[in-house]
Amino acid sequence: MIATVVGNYPKIGVDAQSPNLRSAISRFDSGQITEEELHRIEDEVTKGVIEEQLEAGLDMITDGQIRWEDGQTYFAGKIQGFRITGLIRYFDTNTYYRQPIAEERLQWQGPISLRDYRFAASISSKPVKAVITGPYTLAKLSKGPFYNDFKSLVMSLADILNQEAKALAQAGASVIQFDEPAILNNKGDFPLFQEAMNVLIRGVSSKTALYTYFGDISDLHPGFFELPVHILGLDFVVGTRNWAFLKDFPTDKELGLGIIDARNTKLETVEKIIEAIERASKHVSLNRLHINPSCGLEFLPRSNAYSKLVRMVEAAARAKELLS
Amino acid sequence: MTRGLLTTAVGSYPKPDYLLKARNQVARGKLDNKDLQELEKRATAHWIKVQEDLGMDVLVDGEMYRGDMVTYFSENMEGFAISGLVRSYGNRYYRKPIAVAPVGRSRPVSVEWWQYAQSLTDKPVKGMLTGPYTMADWSFNEYYPSREAFIIDLARSVHEEALDLERAGAEYIQIDEPAVSTRPDEMELAARALGIVTKGLRAFTITHVCYGDFASVFDQLIRLPVDMLDLEMANSNYELLKLLKGNSSDKYLSMGVVDVHNHVIETVDHVKRGIRLGLEVFPPERLYIDPDCGLKTRTDEEAIAKLQVTVTAVRETKKELGIE
Ligand SMILES: [Zn+2]
Repeated sequence: MIATVVGNYPKIGVDAQSPNLRSAISRFDSGQITEEELHRIEDEVTKGVIEEQLEAGLDMITDGQIRWEDGQTYFAGKIQGFRITGLIRYFDTNTYYRQPIAEERLQWQGPISLRDYRFAASISSKPVKAVITGPYTLAKLSKGPFYNDFKSLVMSLADILNQEAKALAQAGASVIQFDEPAILNNKGDFPLFQEAMNVLIRGVSSKTALYTYFGDISDLHPGFFELPVHILGLDFVVGTRNWAFLKDFPTDKELGLGIIDARNTKLETVEKIIEAIERASKHVSLNRLHINPSCGLEFLPRSNAYSKLVRMVEAAARAKELLS
Repeated sequence: MTRGLLTTAVGSYPKPDYLLKARNQVARGKLDNKDLQELEKRATAHWIKVQEDLGMDVLVDGEMYRGDMVTYFSENMEGFAISGLVRSYGNRYYRKPIAVAPVGRSRPVSVEWWQYAQSLTDKPVKGMLTGPYTMADWSFNEYYPSREAFIIDLARSVHEEALDLERAGAEYIQIDEPAVSTRPDEMELAARALGIVTKGLRAFTITHVCYGDFASVFDQLIRLPVDMLDLEMANSNYELLKLLKGNSSDKYLSMGVVDVHNHVIETVDHVKRGIRLGLEVFPPERLYIDPDCGLKTRTDEEAIAKLQVTVTAVRETKKELGIE
């Protein structure tokens, strides 16, 4: 059993002494500090976020995605052919992302997230999971006037992000996670999604994970379980229907069990978490479970995110004792 | 002569620098609330005068005293705590309300501000409320066992507030529900909650809805229990009008004709074309004209220019068509 996170972590610390990314960005925007200085502060904040995850007792962490303005901009901003434009509401949340527009043929110009992965891996005592916004979601949240149809945009991104994944694998990333929440709202596109996944993982030597959130996989089942990745992450907070599909979960895959509500401050009880792990363990053996929040933790204030992780780790340890 | 094509605004205007500075000082304990309130009054008077000078018909107070439309009400109600910082987008952060006990009102929240704004003008000033669905959706919930219980409790409070505004003399009461169209499967609940708010009101009721996939919830949207729907149209190129065409509802429409997320000021001709499109679907008596949404993210000059072009386009259209 592995205690982990899905992706992002709140950027602003509680401690007034800690480096303040918010003021650093506004000072950078008004020309008061250089880009190097901003990057140095981003590194410091990343370091703090990594320490916090390790302190909470996670077995596998992410770099907290401190440098991500949002899941789209971070990648699209460095893919040639995209222009980053206005704010759009991110799914059914009260947060916004900048919409990328593919105005020319999209091209990978070299690794986008590699430097950040290496930095995190170099300072973490536990494995760092590399996270990539999946081609389907990235395409769905973008516009592609250059491309004749949506499918060409998706497949072009699948090819580009495949190169990104291979670069991360070569650098030693033990787990590479692809985030694909958008497929849950567009289930009719599943055949295209499958095709994109096949291109995405081609030649990637690392263990691969596919995470979905903000919904459930009804109507995608059973094809969803056959997708060519090692770990499948599901949201059991918004997607309560996902429980019903676990009985068919494949024996050769691991499950990302999203049972901690990453969108509400209410702290789960240890009992409730153990109950959920026990429920999942009836269908997926403990050694194939990743216990994690329902999605990235950045919807929460920093102190709430940390408390949730501490509680999750405590409950996971108790569950392990009780159930194995 | 036919009457109609009244001009109005959605709600917020940009806050002047002195007010932003003062809010900052209050947060750091360097200014007291009474001094802040004086500055908020000064800014409110400025915007009332701007709207009067432009010749607008139905005014708003500009929301100078609000940080955020949800936080403002929750801070002045029982049952809410305020969270640590969460990120909205880019480098923008805000504090979210947390329901920690039964929510309710011990006194009117917005009535004093409405009375102040109305005392400055003979034109009607809208009473402005945030709807129960949006209040709940943009808060954390640590108390209620279900979203429904939370939303319905809020609806009762917002109804009391609307009654107080009506008693104070408000002829127009707007209930903002920007979140209402984000989750089609909860549209029925949102409509039921809005029905609780507007039940028995004699004032003319409006709901402003934005940022959603309107097409998928259109049938429910058009039946929301209010007299007028206020919808953004300019930023979707008036696509929504196609849906409204041929509907048998007797609702009024307040139509957004300038994009609030863009620095570029629309031309008078451009706005006039939009108004003509609206008149193909609604008679002038049932059509109001306004910006797409609150103008608070624009600069002072941009906001006034956008209001000016709106008013000029309406005036010219009325003249051309002989509307009083
Ligand atoms: Zn709006």
